[in-house]
Amino acid sequence: MLPKRLPVRLWTQAVFPSVKSSLSLCTAASPEIPSDAAEAVEALARYKDRPWDYLESEEYIERYGTSPVWSDYRRNHKGGIPPQKTRKTCIRGDKICGNPCPICRDTNIIIHYQNVKLLQQFISPYTGILYDPTRTGVCQKQQKQLNQAIGAARDHGLLPFQVPHVDFSGEDYSNSHDAVGSTPPPPTMTPWYWWYHTIQPDETEVAKVKKTYKAYLK
Amino acid sequence: MAARCLFRSYSRVKNVDQNTRILVRCSRRMLCSVPSDSSSPDAHVKPQFMDAEVQDILTRIAGLDLEKVFRPIKQELKPPTYKLMTDAQLEEAIQSAREQAQRLLKMPPVLPERKPINDVLSEDKILEGMDTAKYVFTDITFNIPHRERFIVIREPTGTLRKASWEERDRILQVYFPKGARRLTAPPVFQEESLKVVFGQDRHEDVLDLCQVQFEPDSSEYIRVHAATYEDLEKMGKYDLLRSTRHFGGLVWYLVNARRVDGLIIDMLQEDLLQDAVSLVGLFNKVHPNSEIAQEASSQQASGLDLLKIYAKRESQRAGYIELALQAYEQTSAESSV
Repeated sequence: MLPKRLPVRLWTQAVFPSVKSSLSLCTAASPEIPSDAAEAVEALARYKDRPWDYLESEEYIERYGTSPVWSDYRRNHKGGIPPQKTRKTCIRGDKICGNPCPICRDTNIIIHYQNVKLLQQFISPYTGILYDPTRTGVCQKQQKQLNQAIGAARDHGLLPFQVPHVDFSGEDYSNSHDAVGSTPPPPTMTPWYWWYHTIQPDETEVAKVKKTYKAYLK
Repeated sequence: MAARCLFRSYSRVKNVDQNTRILVRCSRRMLCSVPSDSSSPDAHVKPQFMDAEVQDILTRIAGLDLEKVFRPIKQELKPPTYKLMTDAQLEEAIQSAREQAQRLLKMPPVLPERKPINDVLSEDKILEGMDTAKYVFTDITFNIPHRERFIVIREPTGTLRKASWEERDRILQVYFPKGARRLTAPPVFQEESLKVVFGQDRHEDVLDLCQVQFEPDSSEYIRVHAATYEDLEKMGKYDLLRSTRHFGGLVWYLVNARRVDGLIIDMLQEDLLQDAVSLVGLFNKVHPNSEIAQEASSQQASGLDLLKIYAKRESQRAGYIELALQAYEQTSAESSV
């Protein structure tokens, strides 16, 4: 059975079921809340180990179809030009802001370096450059997570990227120079200073010194 | 005192430098002269990758597909520029594009694995326990090649030794960072990641990344290249590398391993008979003691006869090669008639 899509005001309950907010005091909706919250928690746990399964599920296709997750998101701001930085984070402690960003509003979307289909939605297919957060609408915290995940995916070879051309002409690989070739070991010679090796102290001198400091020796 | 020690060891190395150069020259001359004296008179030196004729054959086999070399890559987009040209100017532009492509397709060197550096320059027991960390002394003079740079390490036990190859690469990357090279190798080059990338048919990307990251004679470079070539040979996906700078390396690897079967059949399927003939010629040069080479030299064979000899002797799938040769002869006879 598919989990039902959660009503808007139950986000806090879904993400943090242990927290009691003032909204849950009204009992009219109470018979429905526990089962929905339990299903949401189960969904979170279900996709925790394999976040890429969510992008193939019917729930995802019903909600987003083939367009990217940020396509139907619109930021709320004054005036025609949006602020050049998106909000710092949508979730502060227990509270979720109004109109959360495309990644924070759907708890099943998890940013992970192996979740290649999700990461590719945030990279331009023509230039290979990441989209600016003012275009996608994600909060700064999630954008940082995205940058790290895309970097990790490129390091593991899961995401293709352009490699610069390396020129090999004009280099000498004979390894004949002494810096990298083998040099014979240095001949053992007399030490640089005569006192380099351990010296046996003179017995009379030692006795004299011991006599002067007799009071302080144990 | 430490500076004097370093100076003393450096001066010793400098004095030894001339002696070793003479020694090395003598030893190289001896090594060169030994095979020709001991073996029979018509034995020859094994052809190296950088020989002119070998490079010539490999560049011819690799091909020059301008469409593939200059395919659009993902980069910052600019508005397109349009030029009006006469036919002559167009020819000139195509010619310069061909030269640029030849420069881009110049093959990276194939070198034997480098010998490890294990030289101790001085043992100073008096410095034992002076510090808990190693000291790395690097020569950061600007105008010397990296392979002539002295990098020495003073251990806490007091030994002054030359840095090993891995340490050298790391320290040179710290002081003279190079393009897209990283300080530690990215996880692409581990076995599991390589398998995933090969499943996506991105062998060329892996080889490009390998060239950026490692030196051509390091063990990692050789291991990654060997793994890539093995996978290509197993899957038969020779076409992925066909117009790139890595095709020469692939062919050289297969010829040295004597497993050119799959490649010859792939060439016949693509109707590249001249390439197949050159490949068998290269095989004969590299393995002059094999049956094919001896039979070819005895019969003075050339062209399609070489392929027939190869199909008879060394190939496991001889039937296919003979069929393809017959079909080619028929079509050439029909076209001539």
